[in-house]
Amino acid sequence: MMADREDQVCSHLDLLKTQSDTRRHFLGWGAGGLGALFMNGAMAAPSGENAPLNFNRNPATPLSVLPPQFPAKVKRVIYLHMGGSPSQLELFDHKPILAKFHGHDCPESFIQGKRLAFIQGIPKLLGPMFPFHRAGKSGTWISDRLPHLEGAIDDLCVIKSMKTDQFNHAPAQLLVHTGDPRTGHASLGSWVTYGLGSENQNLPGFIVLISNGGTTANAGKPLWGSGFLPSVYQGVACRSAGEPVLFLDNPKSVSRDERRKVLDAVDEINQQTYREFGNPETVTRIAQYEMAFRMQLEASDAMNIHREPKAVLERYGAEPGKTSYANNCLVARRLAERGVRYIQLYHWGWDSHGTPVDEGLNVGLVKRCHETDQPTAALLADLKARGLLEDTLIVWGGEFGRTPMWENRGGQEMEFIGRDHHPNCFSIWLAGGGIKPGISYGETDDMGYEIAHNPVELRDLHATMLYLLGFDYRRLNYPYQGLDQKLTGVKPARIVSEILA
Amino acid sequence: MAGDSGISGRRSGHLSASVYFGCVGLVTLAGTGLAMLARPAFGHDMLQWIGLESVPQAQASSFYAIRVAPLFETRCAVCHGDKRQKSDLRLDSFASVLRGGKHGAVIIPSDTKNSELAIRIFLPASDDRAMPPDGKTPLTEDEKTVIKLWIAHGATGSLRDIPGAPKPVAEIVIPELDLAQVEKKRAPLVAEVARLQGRFPGVVAYEAQDSADLEINASLKGASFGDADLQALAPLAARVVGANLSGTGVSDASAPVLATMTRLKNLRLSGTKVSDTAIRALEGAKALRSVTVVDTKVTVGALAPLRARGVTVYGDGDGP
Repeated sequence: MMADREDQVCSHLDLLKTQSDTRRHFLGWGAGGLGALFMNGAMAAPSGENAPLNFNRNPATPLSVLPPQFPAKVKRVIYLHMGGSPSQLELFDHKPILAKFHGHDCPESFIQGKRLAFIQGIPKLLGPMFPFHRAGKSGTWISDRLPHLEGAIDDLCVIKSMKTDQFNHAPAQLLVHTGDPRTGHASLGSWVTYGLGSENQNLPGFIVLISNGGTTANAGKPLWGSGFLPSVYQGVACRSAGEPVLFLDNPKSVSRDERRKVLDAVDEINQQTYREFGNPETVTRIAQYEMAFRMQLEASDAMNIHREPKAVLERYGAEPGKTSYANNCLVARRLAERGVRYIQLYHWGWDSHGTPVDEGLNVGLVKRCHETDQPTAALLADLKARGLLEDTLIVWGGEFGRTPMWENRGGQEMEFIGRDHHPNCFSIWLAGGGIKPGISYGETDDMGYEIAHNPVELRDLHATMLYLLGFDYRRLNYPYQGLDQKLTGVKPARIVSEILA
Repeated sequence: MAGDSGISGRRSGHLSASVYFGCVGLVTLAGTGLAMLARPAFGHDMLQWIGLESVPQAQASSFYAIRVAPLFETRCAVCHGDKRQKSDLRLDSFASVLRGGKHGAVIIPSDTKNSELAIRIFLPASDDRAMPPDGKTPLTEDEKTVIKLWIAHGATGSLRDIPGAPKPVAEIVIPELDLAQVEKKRAPLVAEVARLQGRFPGVVAYEAQDSADLEINASLKGASFGDADLQALAPLAARVVGANLSGTGVSDASAPVLATMTRLKNLRLSGTKVSDTAIRALEGAKALRSVTVVDTKVTVGALAPLRARGVTVYGDGDGP
């Protein structure tokens, strides 16, 4: 019945479009057509790797599934973003030599001619705060702060040589999620839903779940924006307590039938607008209203973790009715099961400067680890047990790293222990389909200041993720402002083949 | 006229034409010889040009051809190649690499300390003389090491292996999408696929744009998708490489259809009524990589043969 309705909308729109093509349009097209004929000869048809892929869809079903370019290793992504950026030196990047120099003045070469976010003068070196050990069969280094994740260490691929060129949160987050430090670009999730659609037509293809929102996303909603892509591909931020999507439920005393009537009337007006201006965004809007109507039933069910058995809730540490990272991890699994393409979790509060107590490495970081360690490990284990990990890609990471120097904001010694923003190197991990499990990739120098081996740019990570999803990053593009826009930007990217299974 | 001038030339002490041109020739040769001595690269060019010296060639299986040449080609030849020749240096052939540029050889075999190329690639990006110059992606440590080792081992075009050289990184090559080829592959089933896609929206899809193989995902249809529906997809069974039937109404009655899906790689049956009968039907699916049977009546015994041939099983198979 749903499909019938979409067909109706679509054929109706086609009819309207035909009717609105007047003689004036014909003449207009004719003039353009001459130009086109000329250009066709002057500029040879794009060939080779620049030939566009076909992303044409029925405008009434913009999220319908399209096959990837080539057979994919993963069908969906769960991206666990630790907002504020956790310290790699306290979690994954083991630096015993830095520990030896703890308390010494930092070498001049670290700061000469460099611009750091907050550090001034000559800061002291800060050794790792927590002990490290090798874990699992793989012998991957990990600190004692993530005991649950340690159980899954042999499923992880830790990249210790990530780099970025942004040292402030908002642009760095944008670079991670849209491939560009400025707003206006399409986010990873938008690219993926644009390229592949979503299996479940009753849920958004790209869902964002936020926890520890006391400090909200620095870069805000553009992190899950669609940029120049049609707006139907933007992420939908859902709440894990109360109504999952605000204003989705019908107001009191409005029945579902009445809602349907209202929507029908609005659709008619939108169709008139489309007839007048022919803007595809109008069709997108019609489709979104229709999806919201269908979501009223499905979204509430997907978000409802009350129905999970008690044992499962306990494994995640989830408490129904609360807003927490644990709840979001459990919801993420439910969404993955329901065919949502891209699931983005944000957990804030990792910005360990040492200014307020909650930003101390010795307090804030410990709390954040405690909040996230068990649920993350539970999510990995749960997906694995259900056979979902083999075609799901999980990425964990912040937006940059933290300095091996003790932050001295304003040249002062700080009350709590912290590290400044550090774009030169940071650690992330990946797990799931197509990823080589139980390995570490890349190295930083003995002080954890620069990358010593195998640097991975964010665009390389993006290219690798798209490869796993079945796309050549050069071919998943969209024409805008005279350029075939790509997630990876104009610089060449590299698929990090060494981390692929 | 010619005779006159010859006689008058002799009279007035003028040179004859042959002596004159002979002298010019000697001076030219002497000049060329001096130039060849002063600039060995030019000398080699000349000798190669007149055929006295063979053009150096690298063997196709040499370390140079496999490891070094691709680096020069992709990272250097934009400025030092057939389109541009900055400093008269070309790095797009073995001969021109050895020949050097306008300041002489850039590679001195077995002498990395005095090889200009080896020096420059190791300079920090901030140095004006660093190569590739600023703004370009620097060579990776492994790439620098490969070039350095090759020079240190004589910069030859014949040496095959250099011990201690970093392992080559597997480069991912993505095949071009040949739509005509895909259309040809899909031709025998395209009508049937379109018909069944119409009947079961969102259930049947091509595995990829470059493939004629199919994937079935009925899991979102829930119990409303039953054995009869799977039976309706039977005409496509031989092309199905992935099937997600979790949570559907299929049961052991679907075993015969599953048995015809001989190219299956992944099968999901979680939360269905299937039991061992359905699992035994998978004997012919030799490419099977994983089976998911969480929350079913399938037993460990039925799964054992699958496990024995390396199939990953999700779900403990101990029954509900």
